[in-house]
Amino acid sequence: MLAEVGLAALALAFGAATYAVIAALWGALRHREAFIISARNAALLVFPLTLGASLALLIALMTAQYQIAYVWQVTNPNTPDFYRFTALWGSQSGSLLFWNLLMSGFSFVALLINWNSNRRLMPWFIVYTMAVSAFFLGLSLLLENPFARIWIMPDGSVAQTVFIPAGAEGPSAVRLAATARGLNPLLRHFGMIIHPPLLYLGFVSFVIPFAFAMSALASGDLSTNWIKAARRWALIAWLFLSLGLLLGGRWAYDVLGWGGYWGWDPVENAAFIPWLIGTAFLHSVMIQEKRGMLKVWNMFLIIFTFSAVIFGTFATRSGLIDSVHSFAQSSIGGAMFLFWAAVTLVSVGLTLWRWNRGELRSEHGFAGLASRETLFVLNNVVFVALALAIFWGSFGAPILSELVFNTDISLGASYFTQVTAPLFAAMYILMGIAPLSAWGAGSAKRLGRAMVVPFGLTLIALLLIGIAGTRGGGALFAYGIVMLSGFVALYEIGRSGAARARATGENIVQATIALFGRNRRRYGGFIVHLGITVIGLGVIGSTLFQAETQQTLRPGEALQFQDYSMTFQGIDAGQIAEDGRFMDIANLTLARNGAQVASLRPRHDIYPSTEGQQGMTMIIPGSYSTLENDFYVLFVAGQADGSATFKVYINPLINLIWWGGLILIVGTLISAWPAESAPASVRERRRAKPTAAGVVA
Amino acid sequence: MTYPDPLTELSQPDAAPPRRRGLGPFGLLALIGVVVIAAIFGVALVRNSQSQPESGTAPDFSMTTFDGQPVSLSGLRGKVVVLNFWASWCGPCRDEADALEAMWRDYQDDGVVVLGVAFADLDPDSVAFMNEFGITYPNGPDTGTIISKELYHITGVPETFIIDQQGQVRQFIYSVVNEQDLRETVDSLLAEGESAS
Amino acid sequence: MRACNASSRRSLLILAFGLLILLVASLTQAQDGGAAITDDQVNAIARQMFCPVCENEPLDVCMTAACIRWREDIRGQLAAGRTESQIIADFVARYGERASATPLDPTLRGLSVYVPWLIAGALLLGGVGVFWRWRSTQRHVPTAPPADHPPVEAADEAAYRATLERDLKD
Repeated sequence: MLAEVGLAALALAFGAATYAVIAALWGALRHREAFIISARNAALLVFPLTLGASLALLIALMTAQYQIAYVWQVTNPNTPDFYRFTALWGSQSGSLLFWNLLMSGFSFVALLINWNSNRRLMPWFIVYTMAVSAFFLGLSLLLENPFARIWIMPDGSVAQTVFIPAGAEGPSAVRLAATARGLNPLLRHFGMIIHPPLLYLGFVSFVIPFAFAMSALASGDLSTNWIKAARRWALIAWLFLSLGLLLGGRWAYDVLGWGGYWGWDPVENAAFIPWLIGTAFLHSVMIQEKRGMLKVWNMFLIIFTFSAVIFGTFATRSGLIDSVHSFAQSSIGGAMFLFWAAVTLVSVGLTLWRWNRGELRSEHGFAGLASRETLFVLNNVVFVALALAIFWGSFGAPILSELVFNTDISLGASYFTQVTAPLFAAMYILMGIAPLSAWGAGSAKRLGRAMVVPFGLTLIALLLIGIAGTRGGGALFAYGIVMLSGFVALYEIGRSGAARARATGENIVQATIALFGRNRRRYGGFIVHLGITVIGLGVIGSTLFQAETQQTLRPGEALQFQDYSMTFQGIDAGQIAEDGRFMDIANLTLARNGAQVASLRPRHDIYPSTEGQQGMTMIIPGSYSTLENDFYVLFVAGQADGSATFKVYINPLINLIWWGGLILIVGTLISAWPAESAPASVRERRRAKPTAAGVVA
Repeated sequence: MTYPDPLTELSQPDAAPPRRRGLGPFGLLALIGVVVIAAIFGVALVRNSQSQPESGTAPDFSMTTFDGQPVSLSGLRGKVVVLNFWASWCGPCRDEADALEAMWRDYQDDGVVVLGVAFADLDPDSVAFMNEFGITYPNGPDTGTIISKELYHITGVPETFIIDQQGQVRQFIYSVVNEQDLRETVDSLLAEGESAS
Repeated sequence: MRACNASSRRSLLILAFGLLILLVASLTQAQDGGAAITDDQVNAIARQMFCPVCENEPLDVCMTAACIRWREDIRGQLAAGRTESQIIADFVARYGERASATPLDPTLRGLSVYVPWLIAGALLLGGVGVFWRWRSTQRHVPTAPPADHPPVEAADEAAYRATLERDLKD
């Protein structure tokens, strides 16, 4: 029953999205208002219908309807309720439905919010968002249907189909429950509850700014209207993507057991590339807003952000590259590839067409070399170079090498750090200079004068770090440029607060708060910069100064590493957890400078092999965390004589990455928070006379 | 509610009429770039979606066995070949070692060759494994991991291919072989070969 | 003569004893050299290689049986006195380029390492091209900064406040 309900909802959602595309297209081309309204109503239906389908699957998961093949695949009778819920995105077809749910949700909200303020763009906005939705709903419906059920055919074979095959019967519930597989062990972790949804949110929400850009191109309204509508959505998408990346790192650190948070795996990189291009877009779009320049470039940036999103999804889900993260090879690869190529080609073509007609010309001339425009263009160069270099390392070089030289290669972390480090350095340097520059006219002299205070603060901080024992020119340089960008952000906040305080007579705190209120975007941006600085410090510390050692200890023996002493107490073998896995737990006590600080229990989680599924062992680390560093230990292997091998990492400053992430969230929220844009008088009028105009103008 | 006149919104500074000309060099480059990249990834996708051959001509290869004898698949034309990919570190490979060796002993005079290819294995480990199970059929290392990954696209070990007298793949066995099934398949291929000749 | 003989025999004996000690010492040292390869030395090399069975997992962190054997092989080669680059080259020869985290083949190495720099260089050129165009637009179409964006080059405080005010205007 549930399967039928879900299937019907999914099919209707697909139908509504397809209808909305056609009706909106017709309405926009023929200027038929009725069609546009009808398209809007259909588009608004897609989200509730997808929600219905998702709820049907969720209920099936929670109530253990194992006849639905997806439920059978990702849960079994031992699966706790919590993981039954998260199993919704635990495998290909479910996660695709979940992706659809999020994407239609964004389109729904954007349609409601932006309907009145952007009427010229909205018909085309419906065309684009619904075309993308229709594609993904079609994939869900036709190629990766989560509602396929297991049937016993008349000849005794087993089939998985959506509809009942002739003469087939449902298998016995007992047999289904006994053979059900259960969630991939890698996904049984708290981080997995949040990381994929956030990453998906970041991915799918870029469809909104993309659709606004395309609507501008299609409708010919190439003023800053689309940017005004898109920029907040772009910020929100960027926030989700940042959070998805950060939590993905946290999950890897906690579960994958390699001592780090970022392995430069192709799938991680596939999520990082849209983040980089999106960041370039968020900056460069300001030039267009303020100065009317770089219109074509901005179009390309948002197109390629979205193209990278689709490419990332495609690369992850199609088996194009092999990765720890990738879903099993599946049938949707070809379809996703064609969609990616079509989206990119159509968008690029549309941009070139408008450009050719002279409709994307710059409105202002170039002012000064030290102006903010110049620095933002450089910033764009750096971000795009980063994106391309990472793309090249993860996809370009391996694929070309295979096609041309018939040799399989794979590039490791050392390649990526070597190539990206100078580019990241350039990024931080620009981040340190650009906020102090001015739009239009800029003079190098004034820029230089503004740099004095932050530069001085950086030198003092470097001196302190040097005294504290950090050595090495490269490390000090890296810390220096990262801190400079942070001090610049702080200094700029303080400087403008002080200027306002002097002008208005408020005290500096009031003045600063008032400034934040007046331009949330600008000051939120500074807070984001501060967050990126803190993350940068964490990355430098944990990359350049990570220390590791591997040793074998007998019970009672201790390992000395830096100022830590770790004593091996013994192993609790064969513990059984409630979900059926076995655990071998090593008991360790950790002392620092002679004082005991923690007991750590790194362990092996052993998932026994079941019918049709290979067994799996996961190595879960134990860690002791302080602001200064993490003591991170892996139980590598136990020996027959009772001794055990441990791998110990000391990761300096790693927690700054998570703290920086929090600052970044706060900053982005400040930036994206809706401001009362209308003047007070207009607001007054609105309040007095509630508009009944509604949707029909 | 009214909407601003769209024309006043178009903030084109100079209302010059739209220029009409062909694609500029940059535009052309951008389009070609996108098409080329898309084509490359399309080809890569097609190639990467290749899986183990289950029919058709078995990709030819040659290798040197652990005893130093050169072997090539094309040199075994006319014989039924049981091509087995294995490794000493692989648990399930231990379960099928005896069955494969028994096959070889029973059928080697009837025109059947069992051929082992060690995947990502250390040579001394492979030899120790062969001594442990008394394996006498030809076995060799997959130098450069070419036979297993580039030609037969295996996803793990053990995997086994049964190749007929004409060099066609007739069966692909994912995971451990079942000795009974293996004998039946080989018997039918031998019968086929006899009736053909 | 006798004394001399005796003393020479003693010195011979001492010499032989000394040689024996040296021999034993050198033997134990050689043996120590084999046993003294630490996990850390092995991991330092394994980090630059990939696991043969799990895609894209560095060899030093992979825990599969195959990886454990490979690391033992590295240990053996280190004990035999081979260098890091020799060991990696040996693995590449036996198992293909995929074993190494950076390709050893000079063409492939060049392809992977230099292309990003070419890309970055091309982009920078593009950026310079944009400046060029801005400059020439300015020369040909002298669009003076519009009225609401006056060039500010006055006293510092006032200038800064003016810039700030302009920035604050969303």
